[in-house]
Amino acid sequence: MTLKAYWRLDPAAEPDRAEPSARAETLARDVRPITINRYDHYVQIARAAALTAFDGLFIAHRQEADDSQIVAAAIARAAPRLRLVPEFPASVGSAVYAAKQAVTFQRAVHDRLGWAIAPDGDPDVRAAQADPVADADLGARIEEFLHVARGVHGERPFDFKGRFFEVQGGGFEAPLSGAAFPQVFLRGEQEDALARSARFADVHLFAPQPIEALRAKIEDLDRLALAAGRNIEFGISLGLAARESTEDLADLPETDIVGTYDDVAARLAELASAGIGHFVLSAAPSLEEAYRIGQFVLPRLRAHQPALRAAA
Amino acid sequence: MAIDFYWRLPTHGDHATIRRASLDRGDWSPLSAGSQAPGLTAAGEEDGFRYIDHLAEIARAAEISGFIGGLIPSFPNTDDPWVISPLLARETKSFRFMIAFQPGFLNPVQAARLSASLQRATGGRTVFNVITGGGGPSQLWWGDSFSHDDRYGRTSEFLDVFKGVWKDPGFTFEGRFYTVRNGGLAPLLGREEIPEIWFSGSSEAALQSAARHADYYLSWLEPYDQLQDKFAKVKARTAQLGGEQKCAIRVDLVARATEEEAWRDVRIGFENVTDETRARWRGQPTDSVGASRQAALRPTEAKRWDELVVGRNLWGGFNLLRGGPALGIVGSYEQCAEQLDELIHRGADAFILAGTPHLEEAYRIGEEVLPLLGRTATAGLLQAAE
Repeated sequence: MTLKAYWRLDPAAEPDRAEPSARAETLARDVRPITINRYDHYVQIARAAALTAFDGLFIAHRQEADDSQIVAAAIARAAPRLRLVPEFPASVGSAVYAAKQAVTFQRAVHDRLGWAIAPDGDPDVRAAQADPVADADLGARIEEFLHVARGVHGERPFDFKGRFFEVQGGGFEAPLSGAAFPQVFLRGEQEDALARSARFADVHLFAPQPIEALRAKIEDLDRLALAAGRNIEFGISLGLAARESTEDLADLPETDIVGTYDDVAARLAELASAGIGHFVLSAAPSLEEAYRIGQFVLPRLRAHQPALRAAA
Repeated sequence: MAIDFYWRLPTHGDHATIRRASLDRGDWSPLSAGSQAPGLTAAGEEDGFRYIDHLAEIARAAEISGFIGGLIPSFPNTDDPWVISPLLARETKSFRFMIAFQPGFLNPVQAARLSASLQRATGGRTVFNVITGGGGPSQLWWGDSFSHDDRYGRTSEFLDVFKGVWKDPGFTFEGRFYTVRNGGLAPLLGREEIPEIWFSGSSEAALQSAARHADYYLSWLEPYDQLQDKFAKVKARTAQLGGEQKCAIRVDLVARATEEEAWRDVRIGFENVTDETRARWRGQPTDSVGASRQAALRPTEAKRWDELVVGRNLWGGFNLLRGGPALGIVGSYEQCAEQLDELIHRGADAFILAGTPHLEEAYRIGEEVLPLLGRTATAGLLQAAE
């Protein structure tokens, strides 16, 4: 399997950058209209990721910031080639409508869309968002959401009456029916999350953890998926701090992996040898670090690939 | 008084001419070399363009030729306006994206977040055409099991919540359809303007809901007296609630240098209608009051194009030539402008216009018809009468 590297764009990070409402009074004459704003910055991050040969852009769901799906569409036509993976919770609305929006996205951008289903918020957050679903039902809602979205995408007529969604005579006609369904990313470390991924995920994204624990979970999930007659890939989400030499490493913020370019690439290669094929990477500041990681770490990681392939 | 003119983005394919029904712009008809968006090379290979590239050109054409924005319709077999708008946000400057959508499709707080994010992405160019009544039995295709009148109740509550979380950071709401506790948009998002809301629907439930929530009440073109009554009623009802209701009309035009040319295109279009289209035209089940009103306008078995002429420069067979409402305006540039002037006189404050093909006709109507508004003989007579 070819490794896939995604840069993680967090719409809530560095909130003052390119934000018109945060511009300071200065002696320098400022001719920027307010329409030059964070979206221009998002586009730069996306183009930085594209220019430095990332495979995709992962766009985080942040309640307090710009919506990931709007960001994904707003940058899509300016960022060629990149896979775009907005993250959103299954509480967004109708699964049918989500599938239909995905179809338009896929048609417009040559099938580059992925879906990362975000975990639901706690009860207070959900109450603030007009989400009536109880704690115990959240997992079931995610499963129904994906079942219905895949159903209307893949079958016609599609009929379904569940606890959260109901469809009659659903399904798309040509040409909408020709688009690929987005690759689905799920996450979670507990048993129920792994069981869900076995049935519904294309890629399961793990949190950072010791490599032995990771190996065990990958093995479990692989077996569960096999039992469900499915094939699933594995990914991990990591914060990085990478520098040219060891003496540059002092004063770096704590992240999941800190080290020289060679060290970081070696750690990632180790994860790849454990079965991780999708790397969702982040570092701050996002634009500058996309260039750094893309230019200095990714080529080193990819250089490990022939050895990884031979080992597999 | 300035009138807002919108154009339309055809989200279900486009025709190269009103004379033929084949959707040869877009992939809703079989692709052949010469098809546009996505185009095929002479060798029959895809040229890399997609339908969105054609929509981008139409949006730019409308913007350049003086339209304020465009309606982006939403039906089961169309591309989706919530996705098209951000895709084209950065490739247009002043074009407003009028998103047609049904409140049942999205959680209202999520809809507010999406909208505020889109306002930021476009510099405040988002407009909504909130649809409730459409669809009838086919609502379940969308996964929506609500009855007609419940859907209006839900639309009203949806807009209460949508506006509530936008304006009030500690918004709490207990309704039949939605409950919110201590909700509210983040400050970054909440400082954006709430998009203008255009409301469609001809039933009593729709009119009530519009009076509370709509900035514009939108109707298809109907016989002028009927339309004038409807607008007067909506405006009076909103005035009772202490508000001011603006009214808008969505209408297709065939505008040509001469009237003869315009009717010739309509005649040829009518003669090219297939039996299949004619059968479909006889009616589909719906509980939309607006659609029934349109159906009542036309003779069910017209043999000749001119049997569908229902008034001066008015033709009732547009839905034979393309999907959508039946009644539209046909005439010279001057006559088309006169009809629009007349409609303004009868209470219209804004329009969504369209013509086929959408790109070329945006230029034609923007350049030839819009500049005549307020200067026609009709406008003169209307002013003299006031």
